[in-house]
Amino acid sequence: MEPILRAVNLTKKFGGLVAVDNVSFDVSPGEVIGLVGDNGAGKSTFIKMISGVYQPDGGEIFFNGKKVSFADPRDARDQGIETIYQDLALAENLDVGANIFLGRELKKKFFSEFISRILFSAVLGLPLAVLFAWAAFHFFQWPGLLLGMLTGLGLGSVLGWLFACVTQLVDRRKMAGESAGALKRLDIEIPSLTQQVRNLSGGQRQSVAIARSIYWNARMMIMDEPTAALGVSEQRKVLTLVRTLASQGVPVIIISHNMQDVFAVADRIVILRRGKKVGEQIAAKTTPDKIVSLMVGAETVHKMGVIPRALENNGSAKV
Amino acid sequence: MTDTELATPSGSKKSRAERLSTIRKAWPWFFLILMVVVFAIISKNANNVNFLNYRSVQGILVYATQILLIGLAETIIIISGNGGIDLSVHYSLGLAAVVAAFVMRAMFAASLPPVLTIGTGFLAGILICIIPGWVNGTLVAKVKVPPFISTLGMGYVVYGIALLLSRGQAIADQPDYLAQIGNGNLLYYWPKHGFTFFKVPAGAAPADLQQIIPLIPNVVAITLLVTIAVWFILAKTQFGQHIYAIGGNIQASIRSGIPVASTLTRAYILAAILAGIAGVIWTARFTSGASNAGEPTLLFAIAAVVIGGTSMFGGEGSVVGTVIGALIIATIQYGLVVLGQQPYWQYVTVGVVVIIAVIVDQLGRALEHS
Ligand SMILES: Nc1ncnc2c1ncn2[C@@H]1O[C@H](COP(=O)(O)OP(=O)(O)O)[C@@H](O)[C@H]1O
Ligand SMILES: [Mg+2]
Repeated sequence: MEPILRAVNLTKKFGGLVAVDNVSFDVSPGEVIGLVGDNGAGKSTFIKMISGVYQPDGGEIFFNGKKVSFADPRDARDQGIETIYQDLALAENLDVGANIFLGRELKKKFFSEFISRILFSAVLGLPLAVLFAWAAFHFFQWPGLLLGMLTGLGLGSVLGWLFACVTQLVDRRKMAGESAGALKRLDIEIPSLTQQVRNLSGGQRQSVAIARSIYWNARMMIMDEPTAALGVSEQRKVLTLVRTLASQGVPVIIISHNMQDVFAVADRIVILRRGKKVGEQIAAKTTPDKIVSLMVGAETVHKMGVIPRALENNGSAKV
Repeated sequence: MTDTELATPSGSKKSRAERLSTIRKAWPWFFLILMVVVFAIISKNANNVNFLNYRSVQGILVYATQILLIGLAETIIIISGNGGIDLSVHYSLGLAAVVAAFVMRAMFAASLPPVLTIGTGFLAGILICIIPGWVNGTLVAKVKVPPFISTLGMGYVVYGIALLLSRGQAIADQPDYLAQIGNGNLLYYWPKHGFTFFKVPAGAAPADLQQIIPLIPNVVAITLLVTIAVWFILAKTQFGQHIYAIGGNIQASIRSGIPVASTLTRAYILAAILAGIAGVIWTARFTSGASNAGEPTLLFAIAAVVIGGTSMFGGEGSVVGTVIGALIIATIQYGLVVLGQQPYWQYVTVGVVVIIAVIVDQLGRALEHS
C-alpha cells in the first residue's frame, strides 16, 4: 500500500544541538506506529516537524504522495495531520458538543456574518448620519453637516461590526447530534453530552479530543504520551480507541514510554536515540527487551538486520 | 473511574456533578426570596410598614438598574477570563452622563426639537464610550496588558476627561422633558378610568394623582430590554460562545481558530456601551450630568456578578445570575431605607452576602468534584 506519510531525512537543530538527525520513516494507512526513545531522544521534536510546529532544518515530508511543508500547526491540521497534545486543547467549562465544534460552531443559517455586518452598518449608520448631521448643522452649518454625517456613518460601521454577531446563532442541538454521531462511530461512551468536559474522566476527555479530530477529517493522528496521566482501565480504553482509528484507515503515530502500551497497539515500532533513528521493528516479531536495549544503546540497528524502507530509497542516509 | 461507569448508556441521565451544580446555581434565587421575606417580616413588626407592595418592587427595580447595567458589563468581561475585569466602566458611565448632558444643554439652549435633542444627547453619550472600550480591548487583547492594569489606567483617563469637560461640576440646565423620561413610567393606571401610556391621564386633577398608580418605570423598561439583549448575545450567539471558550481555555481557543483578539476587543467595547447606557439613564433620572455619576456602582456591580455565581476565573456565569445579584443588592439597599436604618449598613450587609456567596460557591464546587 502507498504510504500516507513519508518523512525523509528530517533534521532539526537547536543551536549546536542536533535534536533530530536524519530520521526517515513511512506511515501507511491503517497502521499504528509506536515512536519510542529515552527522554530527550527527539521524539517530540520529530512529531513537531510533521505537525507544523517546527520547520525542519533538513529533509522532506511527503503527504499523500505530494511534497508538503507546513507553515504552522493550523496548516498541517488543514491538510489532515492532527496532533493531540497532552493538554488536549479542550475548554473544560464547555460541554462535549461545544468542544468538538470549538471555533467551528454550527450556526443556524440566516446569512453570513459579512452580510449581517453590512446590513447592520446601513440600518444603524444611516439614521445616525441623519441625526448627527441635523444636530451639527445647527451649530456649525455646512462643515457640521458633513462632519455629523461622516461621524454617523463611521459609528454605524463600528456598530455593524459589533452587532453583526446577533444573527450568528449557535445551533446547539445540531452540534449535540453531530457529536453523538461522531462519538458513536468511534465506539466512545460518554454518559452525558450536556455536562462540562471538566466533569469527565481523563480517558473520556482524551476520547473527546480524538473524536473532534476525526470529525474534522483527520487523515493521520499523532498522539504524544496519550496514556501518561490515565488510570489502568482508562489507558486500555484509549488504546482500544487507537486501534479503532487504525481499523477505520486513519494511521496513528503514538509516542509512549510504556512498553506494554506500545506492544498493545503498535504494528511497527520506531526507536530514536540521541536524535538518531536506531531501529525499526515489527511489533509482532520483537520483544520489549530488544526495544529497550535499542533505546539505551546496547544494540544497533545493523545487528537487527532491519533496513527501513525510507532509508533504502536514499542511500546517502547514515544510521 | 471504572469500566462499568464508562459503559453507562449515554442519554438524559444527569450525573451527580450536574445535579449538584444545578443546586449551586439556584441558591441566589433562594437567597433573594429569603431576603424579601426577612425584610417583609421585620418592616411589618418594627414599623408596621407593608414591604410587599408594588411600590417596593418598583423602588427595588429602579435601585437595581444602575448596578445591573454595570454588572452586565462586568459579567461579559469576567466570563472572558484570563484575569478579565473592567475597572473603568463606572467612569465611562460618568463620561457618558457628562457628554449627554453637555450636548442636551447646548441643544436645549438653542431650542431644537425635543426628539432631536434627546436622540443626539443620548446617542452621543452612549457612543462616546466606544473609545475607552476600544482602547481597553486593544490594550488587553493586542498589547497584552493585564486587564486589571489597563482598565485601571483607562478609568483614570476617562474620569479626568469627564472632569475636564464638566469642569468638575454637575451639568444642569437640562430640558424639562428629560425628567419625564428619567422618572416617568411606561404605563399609568387610574382605577375605574383605565390605562395611559407615558403620561398621567390628562383629565386628572391634582387630587386624583394620589389614586393613579404608576406602572413600569421607563428606566426599568429600558434596562430590561438591554438585559435581554445581553442575555441573547451571551447565551445564543457564536460571539457569546467564543467569550465562554476564551474564558475556559484561551490557548485552546487560539489553536482552534477563534478570533480571540477581535472577540475580546468587541467584549470591552460592549461593556463600555453598557456603561454608556447606564450613564444616559443617570442623566435622565437626575436631569444633570456629573463625572462621578458612577462612583459607588463599580464595586456593587462586581458584587452582584459574584453573588450571581459568575466565576472570577472566567468561563462561567450568566446574565440571569447577575440580574439576581443586582436584585439582592437593591433589595438590601431599599429594605434598609424602608426600615429607616442608616444607609451605611448596606455596605456591611452586601459585604457579608458576597462572602457567603463565595463560600457557598466554593463548597458547591468542591462537592461536585469530590
Ligand atoms: N525548543 C527547543 N530549544 C532547544 N532545545 C530543545 C527544544 N526542544 C527540544 N530541545 C532539545 O532537543 C532534544 C530532544 O528533545 P525532545 O524532542 O523533547 O525529546 P523527547 O520528546 O524524546 O523527550 C533534547 O535535548 C531537548 O533538550
Ligand atoms: Mg517529549
